[in-house]
Amino acid sequence: MSKIVVDGLRKTYGDTVALENLSFEVEPGEFVIILGVSGSGKSTLLRCMCGLNEPTEGEIRINGKPMTAPRPEVAMIFQQHNIIGDMSAYSNALTGGINRTGLLSSIFQLQSKEEKRRALAALDTVGLLDEAEQKTRRMSGGQQQRVGIARALVQESEVLLADEPVASLDPGSAQDVMRYLQRASDERNLSTFISLHQVNIARKFGERFIGLHNGKKVFDGYREDLTVDAIDKIYGDIDTDGMFVNQESDSDSQPPTDQQQEATL
Amino acid sequence: MEESDPDNLVDETRREDESAEQETESTEKRRSGGDPIEAAADGGVPEQKPDGVADEIENQFENIKETRRQRAFGWAALIGVIGFLTYQGLSATEFFDDDTDFTWGHFSTRMTEYFPTTRVADLGAISSLDGYYIWAIDGGAYWSFIKDMNLIYDPEVGSLIFQFPINLTDLYAFVFVELGIFSIFGEAGTTLAMGLVGTVLGFPLALLFSILATERVLPFPFNFIFRAIMSFIRAIPAIIWALIFVALVGLGATAATLAIGFNTIGNLGRLFVEDLEELEDGPIEAMETTGANKSQIVFFGMLSQVRTSFIAWTLYIFEINVRAAVTVGVIGAGGLGAIVAAQQSQLNYEEMMATLFVIFILILLVELFSQRLRARLRSDEERRSWQELIFGFPARMADSLRR
Repeated sequence: MSKIVVDGLRKTYGDTVALENLSFEVEPGEFVIILGVSGSGKSTLLRCMCGLNEPTEGEIRINGKPMTAPRPEVAMIFQQHNIIGDMSAYSNALTGGINRTGLLSSIFQLQSKEEKRRALAALDTVGLLDEAEQKTRRMSGGQQQRVGIARALVQESEVLLADEPVASLDPGSAQDVMRYLQRASDERNLSTFISLHQVNIARKFGERFIGLHNGKKVFDGYREDLTVDAIDKIYGDIDTDGMFVNQESDSDSQPPTDQQQEATL
Repeated sequence: MEESDPDNLVDETRREDESAEQETESTEKRRSGGDPIEAAADGGVPEQKPDGVADEIENQFENIKETRRQRAFGWAALIGVIGFLTYQGLSATEFFDDDTDFTWGHFSTRMTEYFPTTRVADLGAISSLDGYYIWAIDGGAYWSFIKDMNLIYDPEVGSLIFQFPINLTDLYAFVFVELGIFSIFGEAGTTLAMGLVGTVLGFPLALLFSILATERVLPFPFNFIFRAIMSFIRAIPAIIWALIFVALVGLGATAATLAIGFNTIGNLGRLFVEDLEELEDGPIEAMETTGANKSQIVFFGMLSQVRTSFIAWTLYIFEINVRAAVTVGVIGAGGLGAIVAAQQSQLNYEEMMATLFVIFILILLVELFSQRLRARLRSDEERRSWQELIFGFPARMADSLRR
């Protein structure tokens, strides 16, 4: 399992500073939620971590090797899921293991039996085994995001990154997706980073939290440290009292829905 | 248009006189007399308006009139220029030469040669109109030519399958020895095959060139090499390419088909490039993060986004290629085009027209097929399976009749 070190990270786009002097370390298997408003640098951090963007200064070391280009041991889940709508959930999941197969065998799906079982197991983890042969274009937003998670799992990575995975989902599907992410991370003992802007969802699922504000780290701690003051620091001028209170009543008073029960099975 | 200008000027001066007169009269009288609707709305009691308003209206009126006058002048000038250019063009295209003789007699003789007529009924036999007949276009004359020249059906090939009892050896020979799927349709089959094979030959190269022409795959100066190649191929019409290929492989359908295939690289490739320019980054980045190699990123990240539209474009180009197969055939390179050219050189106008009808039907069928298929591809509805398409037909037919 891999240890992640972010060391003096700075990223600029032209004159805009997206991230400044960001450093933290994460132990293998930790479940980390990155909090911040839009434009606080969450996406930039994750894109640097998976190698899509290169840091302007400083570096990110995963397994001791700096990330300069995408590597198979780091998997990414996108807000817009970026799965292939014309292909079935199963075919999409298979593309996660693409780095282990050649071009022709990936096109004609001539992967090994082991590889195919792995794809089905990943779909099982996200509760889509029965929908394996369904075209993803016809699926709901939540289901599509779960296909995205399955693809990331098939990659057999050690680190799982998710950039706003529930931002475009309704509250019910958002909780589902978070639950499946948590389950996948636990089952496979993956170091997981999820960026979120909703405090209530973050508090419900997170263990460790890193708060960003204007590209700077303003919070790094565990659930018990995430006080109202800390949240105010992350969210700046935005009034977060309401969110904070809602979260408590939300998760306690509402009876679990069918979907939630199914997910916990 | 220019004539109306003096009128306008007169109009304008008269109007000015009127308004000057009216200004001396009372406002009430002018308003109620000039604008009955407004007066009625006001309840017959007009309210006093500031003096400046009338002037402003007058100014705006003048402005509008001026712009209208300028616009009219502009249009007149444009029409004049186009007319003059057309006149020059008519001269350049020999419309005024003595060689170009146009007489109604000549015209109508030729038209009857194109459209042979036949007597279908003798009016003298059923009424007092002795010597009068009902005439109609002689479809039989067309048909006998279509049949004699095997334009739509080759009986030699056809005899292999249309016999009773069915001879399995002949059936096998038809499909695998004579390879008669296209040749059974005679010359029309040749033209169709030229279009199809041309498209199939051109497709892989069009795909390859269009991918290499995108900046994502090849960096700037190199991708333009492939764009330039496609532009060059496109700039020269298929029929000219056919002339070049005739010199290489001899006169015949082979040269025409190669020319169509070559032209497809330019045309289809251009359409593909257009689609590849508008790809979304997301799926490509997703493939990058899975650790895919470059060719896998191209296939799963890029081509997967444009698969449906690529198929639709290819069908569209197939449609165009069948038409091109007729044109290219005119140089003598096989199919219906060659028949048209041969008949024209012998001044057989009736036969030319018969071939034209066959071309019309062929193109119509190809377009119908291609458009239906494309519409089906583009629509997002669940596709019917082939079984359902065939066995569900009676139910769907009954359904549509009931409506």
